[in-house]
Amino acid sequence: MKTDQLIDLLARGVEPAERPRWMRKLAITLIVGLAAAVLLIAVGLGVRADIGAARMPVMMKAMFSAAAAAVMLPLATRLMRPGRPLGWRVGAVLVFVAVAAVATCVALFGEAPERRMEAWMGGGFPWCLVLVPILAAPTAALLLWLMRSFAPTRLTMTGAAIGALSGGIGAMAYSMYCPIDSVAFVTTWYVVAIALCAALGATIGARLLRW
Amino acid sequence: MLKGLAGEEAAHRAFLTEAAALLRGYFRNRLRGAPEDAEDLVQETLVALHTRRDSYDPAYPLTAWMYAIARYRLIDHLRRARHRSHASLDGLDIGEPDPEYAASDAKRDLTALLSRLPEKQQKAIRLVKLEEKSVREAAEATGYSESDIKISIHRGLKTLMRLIGEAGAT
Repeated sequence: MKTDQLIDLLARGVEPAERPRWMRKLAITLIVGLAAAVLLIAVGLGVRADIGAARMPVMMKAMFSAAAAAVMLPLATRLMRPGRPLGWRVGAVLVFVAVAAVATCVALFGEAPERRMEAWMGGGFPWCLVLVPILAAPTAALLLWLMRSFAPTRLTMTGAAIGALSGGIGAMAYSMYCPIDSVAFVTTWYVVAIALCAALGATIGARLLRW
Repeated sequence: MLKGLAGEEAAHRAFLTEAAALLRGYFRNRLRGAPEDAEDLVQETLVALHTRRDSYDPAYPLTAWMYAIARYRLIDHLRRARHRSHASLDGLDIGEPDPEYAASDAKRDLTALLSRLPEKQQKAIRLVKLEEKSVREAAEATGYSESDIKISIHRGLKTLMRLIGEAGAT
């Protein structure tokens, strides 16, 4: 087929482009994803028994996770559209990681030396590494679906951004279950869990995003 | 482009024509020795520019948007080509090169792809896009409603885009 014919075919009776209401779509996606994750927690693991008494630490952990998601948002939305520089958006993510690292150190120095290890590791295997990615999955699936209707051109980067964003959402839900309230634990292992989500997104997501 | 986005046919046609010329240069430069691949990519990219035109933000340079999509299509093409070259070519009949190959003639045949769409979408695209009927005339001729026709065209073009991609991958 000749290219001129194709142009003809595309141009004839062209319809006005839809105004992409991506802000609304994105907001709905994230809320639905968070609701799904909370549901998974409530049904699968059960909210921690002392959630009433532990309201403050739970809130703090949820806020920290929400901040992680918020830091990913500008990057993710920027990657939806082709040919736009990323600029400070990558830097914002790095700054967040750096702040978390500093917070970890400060919190650990505040602990008595013999308690440091427990405060950092939470006294056992950090289960958030497994559970946060699982809780992030619904959001990630929805985000992938949303992203496919746009035109991401840097697939690995986009996959990572989607992964980390859904990781933040998953961690928000996870904080309702997570029994460990040590600051150093959260600023280390939540960040690692979210980074794991980003890695999963970069490898699996990038394949699914191809168009 | 903005007028094309607003649904103005002549403006959209002018944009696509100009884009085709720029894209042809872009792909031919990068795929020396494979002008028909370059033309396939020009067409793929045009379809992508068309079907994903709402991903363009009018506040930013048009060419950056266009070339980002072109670059993506090029990388995708090279990735597919690399996968293909891993497969054994033994005993594969690739046929004789067609001596009457017109330079702007891409390899795939749109009519063949069109015949793979559901009948309703085929009819709608044939009537409106190929036979220059208006949406209303097409609706009268087929007995579908006007919005039915419009939706069929929209869906049909999306599927076509996908088929074009698959045809390029085989």
